[in-house]
Amino acid sequence: MFFLIGLGLGDAKDVTVKGLEIIRKCDKVFLEAYTSILTVGKEVLEEFYQRPLIVADRDLCESNIDEILKEAKNQDIALLVVGDPLGATTHTDMLIRAKDFGVETMIVHNASIMNAVSCCGLQLYNFGETVSIPFWSDTWKPDSFFEKIIGNYSRNLHTLCLLDIKVKEPTEESLTKKVRQYMDPKFMSVKEAARQLVEIIANKNNDKQDLTTDTLVVGLSRVGAIDQKIVAGSLEYMQNCDLGPPLHSLVIPAPNLHPLELEYLAQFR
Amino acid sequence: MVNFTVDEIRGMMDKKRNIRNMSVIAHVDHGKSTLTDSLVSKAGIIAGARAGETRFTDTRKDEQDRCITIKSTAISMFFELEEKDLVFISNPDQREKNEKGFLINLIDSPGHVDFSSEVTAALRVTDGALVVVDCVSGVCVQTETVLRQAIAERIKPILFMNKMDRALLELQLEAEELYQTFQRIVENVNVIIATYNDDGGPMGEVRVDPSKGSVGFGSGLHGWAFTLKQFSEMYADKFKIDLVKLMNRLWGENFFNAKTKKWAKQKDADNKRSFCMYVLDPIYKVFDAIMNFRKEEIDGLLKKIGVTIKHEDSDKDGKALLKVVMRSWLPAGEALLQMIAIHLPSPVVAQKYRMEMLYEGPHDDEAAMGIKNCDPEAPLMMYVSKMVPTSDKGRFYAFGRVFSGKVVTGQKARIMGPNFQPGKKEDLYEKTIQRTILMMGRYVEAIEDVPSGNICGLVGVDQFLVKTGTITTFKNAHNMKVMKFSVSPVVRVAVEPKNPADLPKLVEGLKRLAKSDPMVQCINEESGEHIVAGAGELHLEICLKDLEEDHACIPIKKSDPVVSYRETVNEESNQMCLSKSPNKHNRLFMKATPMPEGLPEDIDEGKVNPRDDFKTRARYLGEKYEYDVTEARKIWCFGPESTGPNILVDCSKGVQYLNEIKDSVVAGFQWAAKEGVMAEENLRGVRFNIYDVTLHTDAIHRGGGQIIPTTRRCLYACLLTASPRLMEPVYLCEIQCPEVAVGGIYGVLNRRRGHVFEESQVAGTPMFVVKAYLPVNESFGFTADLRSNTGGQAFPQCVFDHWQILPGDPSEPGSKPYAVVQETRKRKGLKEGLPDLTQYLDKL
Repeated sequence: MFFLIGLGLGDAKDVTVKGLEIIRKCDKVFLEAYTSILTVGKEVLEEFYQRPLIVADRDLCESNIDEILKEAKNQDIALLVVGDPLGATTHTDMLIRAKDFGVETMIVHNASIMNAVSCCGLQLYNFGETVSIPFWSDTWKPDSFFEKIIGNYSRNLHTLCLLDIKVKEPTEESLTKKVRQYMDPKFMSVKEAARQLVEIIANKNNDKQDLTTDTLVVGLSRVGAIDQKIVAGSLEYMQNCDLGPPLHSLVIPAPNLHPLELEYLAQFR
Repeated sequence: MVNFTVDEIRGMMDKKRNIRNMSVIAHVDHGKSTLTDSLVSKAGIIAGARAGETRFTDTRKDEQDRCITIKSTAISMFFELEEKDLVFISNPDQREKNEKGFLINLIDSPGHVDFSSEVTAALRVTDGALVVVDCVSGVCVQTETVLRQAIAERIKPILFMNKMDRALLELQLEAEELYQTFQRIVENVNVIIATYNDDGGPMGEVRVDPSKGSVGFGSGLHGWAFTLKQFSEMYADKFKIDLVKLMNRLWGENFFNAKTKKWAKQKDADNKRSFCMYVLDPIYKVFDAIMNFRKEEIDGLLKKIGVTIKHEDSDKDGKALLKVVMRSWLPAGEALLQMIAIHLPSPVVAQKYRMEMLYEGPHDDEAAMGIKNCDPEAPLMMYVSKMVPTSDKGRFYAFGRVFSGKVVTGQKARIMGPNFQPGKKEDLYEKTIQRTILMMGRYVEAIEDVPSGNICGLVGVDQFLVKTGTITTFKNAHNMKVMKFSVSPVVRVAVEPKNPADLPKLVEGLKRLAKSDPMVQCINEESGEHIVAGAGELHLEICLKDLEEDHACIPIKKSDPVVSYRETVNEESNQMCLSKSPNKHNRLFMKATPMPEGLPEDIDEGKVNPRDDFKTRARYLGEKYEYDVTEARKIWCFGPESTGPNILVDCSKGVQYLNEIKDSVVAGFQWAAKEGVMAEENLRGVRFNIYDVTLHTDAIHRGGGQIIPTTRRCLYACLLTASPRLMEPVYLCEIQCPEVAVGGIYGVLNRRRGHVFEESQVAGTPMFVVKAYLPVNESFGFTADLRSNTGGQAFPQCVFDHWQILPGDPSEPGSKPYAVVQETRKRKGLKEGLPDLTQYLDKL
């Protein structure tokens, strides 16, 4: 059996009871370590689960998962995913492949930023399409996500912006070489995301601009952890607002908010 | 020999209209360096003590030993034109008012084809070229190659017929025969010029013409030379006829009847060709009298031609006397320097029409205007064309030409390598020019600054440039165009130190070697192998010797030479190839197809290139190659190295966010074009079409990490399904030999898969010229083999000509290409066997 187990958002103790039971009885437990991170390291998890964990990086999950899935035919293997296991779209592919190999699968859900974002007071019902904001390089500055934000905004919906994380990504030069070199881990902060947004707004100098640097946005960091932090302010203000260590997320609320939403947000201003 | 101080030379440099930058180019052994000597002894500026020493410009010991030029060398000369000659210069930009002196910067370059990259580098920094042709052998393959290059760079040629002494003494040609020989060479040269130059173009008419004085005749070895101008001067007074008119009369179909004193346009019984009568006859008489020891006649002749023999030469006779007489009668230096000063363009004239060929940026920015006007007050624009080793081991002078502004010792400048792109930081350094220097053969002199239009060397720049680059003070400057070589590094050897502990020295040595030669490539394979690639066997031999003795200074083991191949395809992919990204959310659908015949060559020659306006290019491709014009407008890139003969075309319709992955797809394409699927050799002549793309909605999930490897896999699948083929390089081989040896040549060529496509006699000589195509792979040891089979009478010149498909299917065990693929894979440390399609092709 192949188990996909969500670990929640905060620390080791956010795993569900059901998840923990499965982890303890599995033959092999992998920890997916590239779509998100917890506030605690692998060692803390191992101690709490009383199980050794094998770290699974992007290469393993994307390119070399077949072998693991085949093993799961006769063994119980679990892959632990921070947040909800299917929050990251990548993992649906694993389930499809497992089915091809005739391996049974089970999913143990958990909290994800997709629902925990409601901690800022904005109603989940009113969120539109979620977007990711990628790190820009000198040559690669995609801004297609901005259109989606505008799309949501014009329909009076909130936008949850997931911010890029690079845990172990190959450097651009080594992508066209046989030997991979990896970048140092980096995590986008609300500050950086706000700066990229400001740059896009400055470049798109159309007049019917409804999103400006004065628009109210909400920055969140380490949602689900004890020291979680939420700040509401203008995009301009967010550019210089330090929200501490990762992970960060940014919400662009709809232009017309419900009175309750406004009231709740007020405490973060 | 004039002795100048650096200050005086610096003064000359400001008189930009009186500067002539020129190179001497020719086929190997046509006598460039010897001819150059006669110029240097007449007008060389520095180091008077060395006057008369032979082969002044061959500075290396092996050059002197082998009697061939390997590296090009620059020297400066000073020459004063007499008042009466100044009138020949009509263009006001060709001389400063009231200045008779000319500063001539001459670059002597190698004639052997293997070193023609040196010629390319020399041509870039000069405006004119003295083309030397051995009048006995005529126009040879390398004459044509270098002349073609010169015209392409907008270098104005003048012609010199060398080795007249051989024509007279050895071949004993009759005057009329000799005239015909000259006439033929002039014609041949002008045909080549006409092929590559448009008379209506910005350079105007560049053909050479003896009656204009732009063709010289003589013997570099004996130190005498003349143009029709010299002879016209002798006769003009006597005939009471205008000099220029007389020059016209002395060439071509002009006949003079001595009895009736009438000129005619046709030959008849009583008249004689004027060139033979007035130019050749006197020379023949002198030769005849001296070589047959007719003492009294000699004295009479000497009086007539106004030569007095110095006391110390009075007891000479035969050849020795002939030399002395001819040299004092028709001094080579005088005639040549006049030709140079009168007919070659000054930087002011040349840079006007060369700017658009030299500068990549907009043709109206500050740098472009500075170049165009050769303006010393404009921002600095200098092109470094090569690196010259210094006495300090491992360091180099950066040698080049200042096209605009001034380069000053201690100046802060932008040093831009060939990969620099405006607005980016890659391949860009802002550093101080440590020192500017004058380079004179093997001597250098420090100089404070050098203004536009001059050639000089820089100290301290070598660490920032690999081989060439642009130096500027203009912040928005684009690069000067990279030089295009006529030869390619198709022969390679692997090197390793005899003592493994010396590896770091080897690596350092290879770096220096790469700098010291304009073309050699030093490649570190990912397998750890060190490869040196050159134009031919001789080029590699010299490079490896330099590496061993000068650059690495350690004993080196080298592999047998191997040839680099190209990978291509024979037909369109037999299926739509799909590859999925690692996260499975992005899918590419593509196909490969072979390019139509001629297109890869068009790309090589730059007729189709990435900088073209895409609409013009699409129209051209549509008209010439029947490409769909809408598709041809969407060529994403060329490759490898963004310029190679493969293209990636977007044939998709309505794919959202496609532009966000373009860079990644292009990167994957560059990678695959550089390392093909069969043996990781460059691709050639392959067009890839993108038909459809499925993308993840979120930008994060379609970054380089996802798209680059996927593109490569998809392209590999395209190649494997399009019947891949290998291409091998082929030399054009020109062999000169006497008739008896021709049979032996055929035998040797047949054994080496070569085939003869032209065989002809050199008119007026017993020599034959055989032209053949010979696969480079079969050329190792060819020269030695040929000599032993023809009794040492045949001498080949091989120059890279084209790529041809190696017959056979590389995926079929037992075929020749299969063996090549396996050998190459093994050498590169790749998995043996054939690439597996299922690794690259995904199922829907």
